[in-house]
This record gives sequence, C-alpha cells and structure tokens, in this order.
Amino acid sequence: MRLTRRELLATGSALAAGLAAPGILRAQGVKEIRMIEAGGKSGDSMEPYIKPFTEATGIKVVRESPNPFGKLRSLVQGGQTNICLFELGSTGMEQAKALDLIEPLDWDAIQPEAMYPEAKNPMGFGWQYYSTLMAWRSDAKTPKNWADFFNTKDFPGKRAMQDRPYGLVYALLADGVPADKLYPLDVERAFKAMDRIKNDVAVWWNAGAQAPQLLQDNEVQYAAAYSGRVAGIKGISYTYEQAVLDLAYLVVPKGANKADKAAAMRLLREYSRPKAQLEAAKIISYTGPSPELPAMLPKEKLAEYPTVHREKQIIHNVKWWFDNAAMIEKRWQQFKLSL
Amino acid sequence: MRIGRNAGTYVVPLLVLMVVAFDVPILLMLASSVLAPHPTVAHWAELVESPIYFRVLGNTFQIALVTAAVCGLIGYPLAYWMRGLGGRAQLAVVTLVLLPFWISILVRTYAWIVVLGNNGIVNRSLMGLGLTDRPVSFLYNQLGVTIGTTNVLLPFLVLPLFAAMLKIDERLLQAAATLGASRRAIFWRVFFPLSLPAFAAGLVLVFILTLGFYVTPAILGGGRVPMISSMLDILINQMPRWELAAAISTLLLAVTLALYGVYRTIAARAA
Repeated sequence: MRLTRRELLATGSALAAGLAAPGILRAQGVKEIRMIEAGGKSGDSMEPYIKPFTEATGIKVVRESPNPFGKLRSLVQGGQTNICLFELGSTGMEQAKALDLIEPLDWDAIQPEAMYPEAKNPMGFGWQYYSTLMAWRSDAKTPKNWADFFNTKDFPGKRAMQDRPYGLVYALLADGVPADKLYPLDVERAFKAMDRIKNDVAVWWNAGAQAPQLLQDNEVQYAAAYSGRVAGIKGISYTYEQAVLDLAYLVVPKGANKADKAAAMRLLREYSRPKAQLEAAKIISYTGPSPELPAMLPKEKLAEYPTVHREKQIIHNVKWWFDNAAMIEKRWQQFKLSL
Repeated sequence: MRIGRNAGTYVVPLLVLMVVAFDVPILLMLASSVLAPHPTVAHWAELVESPIYFRVLGNTFQIALVTAAVCGLIGYPLAYWMRGLGGRAQLAVVTLVLLPFWISILVRTYAWIVVLGNNGIVNRSLMGLGLTDRPVSFLYNQLGVTIGTTNVLLPFLVLPLFAAMLKIDERLLQAAATLGASRRAIFWRVFFPLSLPAFAAGLVLVFILTLGFYVTPAILGGGRVPMISSMLDILINQMPRWELAAAISTLLLAVTLALYGVYRTIAARAA
C-alpha cells in the first residue's frame, strides 16, 4: 500500500498524539473523570470502551445515571465543572446548544475511526443508535406497518405508545403519508389520526422498560417500543419497518474542567472503535457509529440491530422537532387532556 | 420565660440551616418566574393564557379531593375500630397499618399491577367466578391512580387520627351515657366533634401530599391521568422551561397555603 504524503502526515501525527496522550493526561494529574449517562444495560454497554481507556491512561471513569435534561442545566448554571461527559438524545443536544449549556468537542484530539456523518457532530459524539419500533405479542395478529397498528378493527387489542409527541410520525405514516414526505409534519392531520386510536391506547409509557413489560403481562397486545428493550425477548415480535432511527450523543457540559475534557476526548476515541462497539452491542442490542460494525455483528442476532436496518427506517428529524418544540409540547398536553 | 428563651437559642442553628439550605433556594427558584432572564411578567402571562395548565391543576385537585375523601371514608372507621381493640390486637393492627411504610413506594405501586391487571388476581377471580367475561379496567385510569394514592396515604390519616382518638377522655362518653344519650348520639355529639380536628388535619395532609404525587400516577395512570407533578417534570426535564415551572409551582404553593389557612380556621373553630 502506498501512502500519500498527507496520509503519512496524518497517520504520523495520529500515532504521535496517541502515544503522547497518556503522558499528557498523566502530567495534568487527572486520576478519574465523571460522566452522566442513561443507566441500566445501556450504561453497562459503555464498559467495553472504558476498559481499554483506563488500561491505556490509568484514568478511572465514574458513571452516574440517570441523565434528565434538567440535570445538565443545573450542573452548568450551578458552575459544576467535574462532569466532563453527559449523554443526551439528539433533540436534547439541540436544546442544550440553544441554551448554551454545552461546548464543542475537540475532534482533532478525538481522532476517531470511521463514523457515520451524523454521529460526528461538532457538539456531540453520536455513540449509540436506537430505534423506536412496532412490537407486539407473538400470539397477536401480525401487523406489517403503522397502518395496521392504527387499525384496531382488523388488529384488535390494546396499544401502548410513548408519552411523547414523537408518535405523531407513526400517525401520519398510518394515515398514508409517504416516509419521504413526512417533514414538515402535518400536525393537524397527525392529531386527527391519533384521535382515532387514542381510546385503544391503554398506556402512554414514560420508561423504556414499560413497553416490554406491558406486552409480557398481556396488558397490551401492540406497542411502540425501544428496539433494545424488545430485542431477544421471548414472546415479543417486532419489525424495523417504518421504525424511527435516532442517535444518543455524548456532549461536554459548558465550563467542564479542561484537563478532564482532554481525557474525555481520549475516551471518545475508544467509543469509535468498531471492535469495542461489537462488545457493547452484545450487552444491549443498540449499535455504535462505525459503518464497519454491521458486517461484524453476530449473524444469528443480526436482525436485532438498528443500524443494520438503516434503509427501512426514518431518521429522526432533529431540526423540525427542535424548531417546533414549544408548539408541539403544548398540543401534546392538550391531546393528553382530551383522553 | 427563661426556658422559652433557651429553647429559642437551641432552635437557632436548625432554623438557620432550614432558611439557608431550604427556604432561600426555594424562594429564589420561585422568584425566577418573574426575574429570569430579566424582570418580566411574560411567564405568568403565558401561564394565564394557556388553559391547559389550569386544567391539569384542576385535575390534580380533583384527584387529591377524591383521595382525601376515600382515605377519610376508610380511615375513620378503621381508626375508630382500632381504638376499641384490646392491647395485643391493637398492636397487631397498628403494625399492619404501618407495614406499607417499610416497603418502597415503587414496589407497592407495581404490586397493584400484579393484583389489578388484566391478568391479575382480581380479574382472574372475577372471570373465574363468571362475574364478568372481560377483564375490568382497574388500572390506567383515574380509578387506578386513586387506588394507588389511597393505599400509600392511608397511614398518614389513620395514625394521627388513632392517636387523637386514644386521647379522648372515656369519662366524657360515660358522662353522656349516664345522662341518657343513645350510642349514636354519644358518637355524633361527643366523640365525633372531639376527633374532628385530628380528622380534618389528616384529610388536609392527605390532600396536600396527593398534590405532589409523581410515581403513582405515572405508573398506575398509564399516562392517561395528567397531574401537575408530571407536567412540571416535562417543563423542567424535557422542554426545559424552568421559569414557567416556577410560575406553576408558585401558584400551587399559593393555593395550598390558602387551603391550609382554611383548615386552620376550621380547626380553630372546632377547638
């Protein structure tokens, strides 16, 4: 293989930085860094990244959870500086940017391996893809798409949906809007479609664990659920058809300690390694940002992973949701009061 | 006089701690509804112009009222019955009433799903007995929330009420009996008025505690029963609109204090 001069320089400096980084970090006296993440199995799936980082640098990583947005705001406004990484959803990251709660990542210091473009955001490292998809009890009639999910006559049974306005996307798909014409969302039409189904939605869930539990308990027969929560659970079927693919980001709270942040950038490099992402995907069926990952995933479980089904899915439109947040939240509360 | 002054001195450290660590931050937080990001009435204007917030507030008060009423209807007879029990039986019943305090509120709330769910004990029994052919919806509605809040809050009414009932002088009841009053008249004209202040205090306590419930409505309401705490959660953790949340909290506090004032007036009159 012949290297061009630029490639050689880039590789050389990457190597040099890689070798030098532990020394720099130690010199700055960082012994441990703290992060706030979503917790549960998702939090456990961070260990394959943390372990090689700690081995290489001697720096411990303390994980705390959960990660509500209000926590980030109070950390930053309270002048707290010892949390250097915070996990946020894609819409949350936009909100944080608008409120000036986060600072840009130092991508030159991260030097990541190959990543999907949307995961490489100036303000955040997209570390985990997850989907919200349609799941059902395996003994219920098999639905093909959201139109079936919204058709309670031919697919009788109770439903569970997330207690957030994101379900409006499914309502529009069910109402016949093609996937590529969804945005900007026709909010009126979406709520009208929601009105058709609302009496059959027994539970509007808040915690990701609720959906699989409700299905298993036979409280509901059909549910919108997080992919990682229903993958591999006995008695529950699901489809990635018309699912919504979204990305969880790691961001740096504004004003975080400089030395800690430098260590955090080094940690993020580990998050870009496809091998570590493979280990993480075995802990919970979500997938990391490496385009090489789908080919490496275990064949027998391939169907469980979000990025494998990229083509079938709808990418969460962060910009629309952020721009319309205030209006849509209010409409959503109004809708909830009409139940 | 000296004792009073000394007592005052002992209380000072605690008082300072309460004011600095608790009251001042709360006031600052509430003040942000008019001061953030600069002095403004915009947040209050938004609150007043959005009927949804008042409807959620109204819904919350309604559930609190129902919970207090149900707790009263169950709790008063329970406390009265406990008062008449013998020593050992009384201890056993007090323990049973206290037992829920020792179990996490989350566990207790989820336990209701096992008991009242579609596949739960109650529904299977009802269907087994042929009383109904479809599961009855106990959960994921206002009924479910009321069952949950009542379960959690009943001891808050029963225990103080029971203590107050024990203090009622038996000789007053005997005096009424010697004067020829029927058992019913003794209860309604002597016993009940004497227990009323504690009863009213318990009802107000239950009412106020229900206003702030979060876990129980979130789980047993299935997201179908909007209450003010989940609304505040959205405004604080999702939106995030802390200023609006502060305005709603201020309103909630004001209403609660007003109710407390009403209660004090009633209690003073009853005494």
